[in-house]
Amino acid sequence: MDLEHSFTVPVGVETAWAEFQDIASVAECFPGATVSGVEGDTFNGSVKVKLGPIALVYNGSGTFTEKDEANHRFVVDAKGKDKRGNGTAGAKVTLTMDGQGDSTDVKVVTDLAITGKPAQFGRGVMQDVSDKLLGQFVACLEQRLDNSAEAAPAAAPTPAEPAPSAEPAEPAVAPQPATPASPPAQAATPAPARGSVDSLDLGKTVLPVLVKAYWKPVVVALVVIIVVIWLITR
Amino acid sequence: MIPAKFDYLAPTSVEDALRALAEHGDDAKILGGGQSLLPVLRMRLNAPELVIDLGRIDSLRGVREDGDALVIGAMTTHSEMITDELVREHALLLSKAAAEVADNQIRHRGTFGGSCAHADPAGDMGSAALAMDAEFVIAGPGGTRSVPAKEFFVDLFETAIGEDEILTEIRVPKKTGWGAHYEKFVRVAHQWPIVAVAATVNASGGTISEARVALTNMGSTPLRATATESALAGAAATEDGVRPAAEQAADGTNPPSDLNGDSDYRKHLATVLARRAVLKAAGE
Amino acid sequence: MTVVDAAPEARPEIGRDRRRKEDQRLITGRTRWTDNITLPGMLHLAMVRSPYAHAKILSIDVEAADKSLNIYEVFTGKDLGDSQGVNANAWPITPEQITPNHLPMPTDRVVFAGEIVAVVAARTAAEARDAAELVDVEYEVLPAVLDLKEAAEDKVLAHPDLGTNKSAFWQLDSAGQGTGRAIDEVIDEARADGIVIEREYRQQRLIPAFMEPRSVVVDPTGEQITMWSATQIPHIIRFLLAATTGVPESKIRVIAPDVGGGFGGKLQTTPEEWITWTVARRIGKPCKYTETRSESLVSAHHGRDQWQKLTLAATKEGRVTGLKVDLLADLGAYVGVVGGGVPVLGAWMFNSIYKWDAYQFNCTTLLTNKTWVDAYRGAGRPEATYAIERMMDELAAELGQDPLEVRERNWIKHEEFPFTTVAGMTYDSGNYEAATAKAKEMFGYDALRAEQKERRDRGDRVQLGIGISTFTEMCGLAPSRVLGSLNYGAGGWEHATVRMLPTGKVEVITGTSAHGQGHETAFSQIVADRLGVPFEDVEILHGDTQVSHKGLDTYGSRSLVVGGEALVLAADKVIEKAKPLAAHLLEANVDDLEFSNGRYSVRGTDQGMLISEVALATFAAHNYPEGMEPGIDAESTYDPVNFSFPHGTHLCAAEIDTETGQVKLRKYTCVDDIGNIINPLIVAGQVHGGLVQGIAQALWEEAVYDDSGTLVSGSFVDYLLPTAADTINFDIGHTTSPSTTNTLGTKGVGEAGTIASTPAVVNAIVDAVRHLGINDIQMPCTPERVWKAIHTSSPKGDATEAAAMPHFDESEPGQSSTEGAGA
Repeated sequence: MDLEHSFTVPVGVETAWAEFQDIASVAECFPGATVSGVEGDTFNGSVKVKLGPIALVYNGSGTFTEKDEANHRFVVDAKGKDKRGNGTAGAKVTLTMDGQGDSTDVKVVTDLAITGKPAQFGRGVMQDVSDKLLGQFVACLEQRLDNSAEAAPAAAPTPAEPAPSAEPAEPAVAPQPATPASPPAQAATPAPARGSVDSLDLGKTVLPVLVKAYWKPVVVALVVIIVVIWLITR
Repeated sequence: MIPAKFDYLAPTSVEDALRALAEHGDDAKILGGGQSLLPVLRMRLNAPELVIDLGRIDSLRGVREDGDALVIGAMTTHSEMITDELVREHALLLSKAAAEVADNQIRHRGTFGGSCAHADPAGDMGSAALAMDAEFVIAGPGGTRSVPAKEFFVDLFETAIGEDEILTEIRVPKKTGWGAHYEKFVRVAHQWPIVAVAATVNASGGTISEARVALTNMGSTPLRATATESALAGAAATEDGVRPAAEQAADGTNPPSDLNGDSDYRKHLATVLARRAVLKAAGE
Repeated sequence: MTVVDAAPEARPEIGRDRRRKEDQRLITGRTRWTDNITLPGMLHLAMVRSPYAHAKILSIDVEAADKSLNIYEVFTGKDLGDSQGVNANAWPITPEQITPNHLPMPTDRVVFAGEIVAVVAARTAAEARDAAELVDVEYEVLPAVLDLKEAAEDKVLAHPDLGTNKSAFWQLDSAGQGTGRAIDEVIDEARADGIVIEREYRQQRLIPAFMEPRSVVVDPTGEQITMWSATQIPHIIRFLLAATTGVPESKIRVIAPDVGGGFGGKLQTTPEEWITWTVARRIGKPCKYTETRSESLVSAHHGRDQWQKLTLAATKEGRVTGLKVDLLADLGAYVGVVGGGVPVLGAWMFNSIYKWDAYQFNCTTLLTNKTWVDAYRGAGRPEATYAIERMMDELAAELGQDPLEVRERNWIKHEEFPFTTVAGMTYDSGNYEAATAKAKEMFGYDALRAEQKERRDRGDRVQLGIGISTFTEMCGLAPSRVLGSLNYGAGGWEHATVRMLPTGKVEVITGTSAHGQGHETAFSQIVADRLGVPFEDVEILHGDTQVSHKGLDTYGSRSLVVGGEALVLAADKVIEKAKPLAAHLLEANVDDLEFSNGRYSVRGTDQGMLISEVALATFAAHNYPEGMEPGIDAESTYDPVNFSFPHGTHLCAAEIDTETGQVKLRKYTCVDDIGNIINPLIVAGQVHGGLVQGIAQALWEEAVYDDSGTLVSGSFVDYLLPTAADTINFDIGHTTSPSTTNTLGTKGVGEAGTIASTPAVVNAIVDAVRHLGINDIQMPCTPERVWKAIHTSSPKGDATEAAAMPHFDESEPGQSSTEGAGA
């Protein structure tokens, strides 16, 4: 079955394109997805599909089968088998971005093929379920692009200011910035614990979503923001 | 088919059930009448480690009056709803809808609360509850809370009940003396409705003063046909009087397409069934 | 000698509505179905099935499954290899037929979703099922061909190694076989100066859906390897097991215990049976496999599935002259045991009860990546009757005449029997006038027509339609020589043995294999009448090849017509064999002996003895004539001389709610002429059940595949079987034109109801809305399809344009097999 979703985000097409070069991060946007390993353009993982009475776990993998930078189009081919041998799920996701200056129109076309028991659940319910899950997937992609719009000021050349200030700030707030310099995963946790109330809130809401999905650059930038705010509010 | 192995618990109080639920999280599944869960288990579309059977909790059964509302225990069966005198007098629509659920065997096991918690958009009791502006009383670790029907049905198979909560009872504001009818359209008697309309009206002297109309299987949740409801206020309880209102029944809906009918056909059916349901309800 | 005059009831058994002997044990649950069989050390099997319609098997990892608790062993196709034998096709309809090799469990490629790729043997069924989930199969998905018309184009191949999807092409041509003129000439004449009607109809795919799921137990530990199977064909299975798995036939015993319905769906040699056989032999322990309902729907063979192109030529006065039939028939992924023979069985039936100048039947059987297709109640004849009865209504509409009048004008008159049709079949007897007159009266035809007119004139929201189906069918399979000429792999005879027990009881062995038909009762009635013994004293034994060593089992409405005749002949032989002993004991001349009501009497005296006394005397053998063997048991193998041709007139009144498209049956009357009736109660049961199945095809049932080749109607949620809540009471009547080709004058009734009813219902629906410009609604006639036909200008599901087309325009868009089904 073919399912189509589209949305628009307030970032330029190049930024948007950059967001999705990491196959693992794309995969993890799918609700219930866990990526267990990445190798180049391929990821392995599982998707836990939970909807009302149905709970299925698909194990499988996905690959970028096409990455067309010039046209801002990529295709991910994902295939999974139900853990209990109940059938398979295959999704070919084609995402195209159309730059409109400061914003980008994104179209996601998914060719979904579900075999076995779930496809026979009755009354075509699986189609509705798939549509709903894909909707959540797309919403996550959209959210990610929206967040990159927020984070962009921190990650773009201008954050060079907070970055340099992080250095001078480091000696002044010796214990905390030292932790940002170390592996981001660790940095994420100590910062909220020690920051002020404001920074805690920020960390609690934004960090859990992003830490899992984003890698180094953005986390570091965010932690820097926290530190800056903390510094300001002290 | 044979379900995968599971552990089974039959607590005798809501507290015990909640405790078990808290302990096992999403490895546990609540069992009401079993008419929706057991087929899923048998087809191995789910394999919970623990099934928590509410069948031994007496406090979840029964219908009682509480001022201007009826309070119906979540484990009250469809069969009990059909004959219960309080339901028939004050919430006739629920009785009528319960009489249309599947078949006699299923009606003797399936429950009102279970059916609503399952939230199958093609489930009959959900739209009847929505039409009646029912309130769903949900018990959890932090106590009980009440959720109005409009907020209770969230999406396909999704309700406001949290992972660690249990639906205990349903409060239904009385509509004493209102006429009611559940018009169900199927190809074979034991099928889920292709489309169905739940209607309850306050009519006298051939005029409808107020109406509540809800739609089954016209979306991912039961839906209220609010345009129809408004247009019915003051309408004559005749074909011509009801028709214009009924024609708005599908407004704003985007029903699914399946082997039994596509979206356009369903929208058309909704208008026809709405007219018939309202007329029959007014004729009660 | 004293004569004990036991005086059996003078009232004959034949014709009595005896309650069935079988029912006591069936209704009280005392019987043992195949799944109830438990043997010491028995293992349970679970199948691992492919989710893909067409895929290469890259690897099968059984490690996790093998290590599971209480798992005995896991086998793949490669493990079992050729030791599995094959599931063979016993009827290649042409010598050139392309038949894929059907290994029960394939080794490297699956060709339909649901095909078995691995089998798990475990101590309990639950553990087998749990372990089956752990078998990890890697597939490489291949393109699948699912649509029947696309399959005919050979763009995507179901079996790439075969090079084509076309299995065979079979033709019956009246000019070619000298039974009529050349069809194209006749059609051209009609185009010039008569009427030509062209229509295309869809026979949707159905699932037999018998009540008892299939089950098989194999015990390899005895001297004979025993297979119990819920099957219609124990003898044929025994033969094919020997032929394909190399086990000597004398080492094989097949038992069909009580079987809960078959309807043709259990007329098969199945991968499940063959795999259980192979695994049990391999392991050396008894093994059982019982399918789940979901497995049944996807792996037990399906029925029907044809596209039919029909051209009917008639004079402008409405006399039919020519009929041309072009069929595309879907075989699914393999050719079943009867396979292409099923659509071919309809070849002699499209011409039906009418007289034609020319007739041609063309059938192409095709392979697709879906569940295989084989016999289902009627097997080829419902498809034929549907087509012709719909076309006769179209002709009537074209002429603006009453459809019953048009039929009567064209059918074979009572005085014309026996009649050899344009297809070359000789119908022995019949009386279409009598059946129709009776049906019309019972139905209230004239009053309903009047009501129809009133409603039409008033423009009622609910319109009334009247549908007609005047049918005949050919059953009583079959004269063996005819089968031989058709390349069928077996004969059509049937066997019976009558054993006279010393205490006066009678044991009868029949080679038929009942699975709900009530043979034990009906055959007891026949034997009781023939031998003059009490009904209760007759025991009918069947279904076990060790007991009933010879037979061709039950299908095609043959058991009474062929099996019953064998019974009669055997019983008559017993009577003859006992005569010399009776004469000897009565000290009379053999020629002075008469036999009636179970008693040998000496003409002109009151001397006599019961046949049961003769049996006792035989057993004692103290006093019997020289040269005679002390035995009066007898057997007979009867080969029918012709098919039998029951016929009937079915009338259906249906109400259509034009606002919703809902169809409600108002009245259904049928008068069937099935020759002499043995047990009216059993006949009523057959007719009622047959009617419901035929009506279900018209209104409710359809097997639907999505574009991945998954059967989406994979449970009864979507595959709609009606219940008693959905059907009305049927008014059933009979006329009797005894068959002239067997002693009892019977014609068979097992399939008649199904064959006739589908077109009766669809004709009624179309009749109700024809005045709105509709001439067809595709089956199943869902409310949506009916509503759309009424309310849209280019009705969905209308297979051809509203007006009769002069030619089938090849450029017209083809209709998808699943059109309107929402797939």
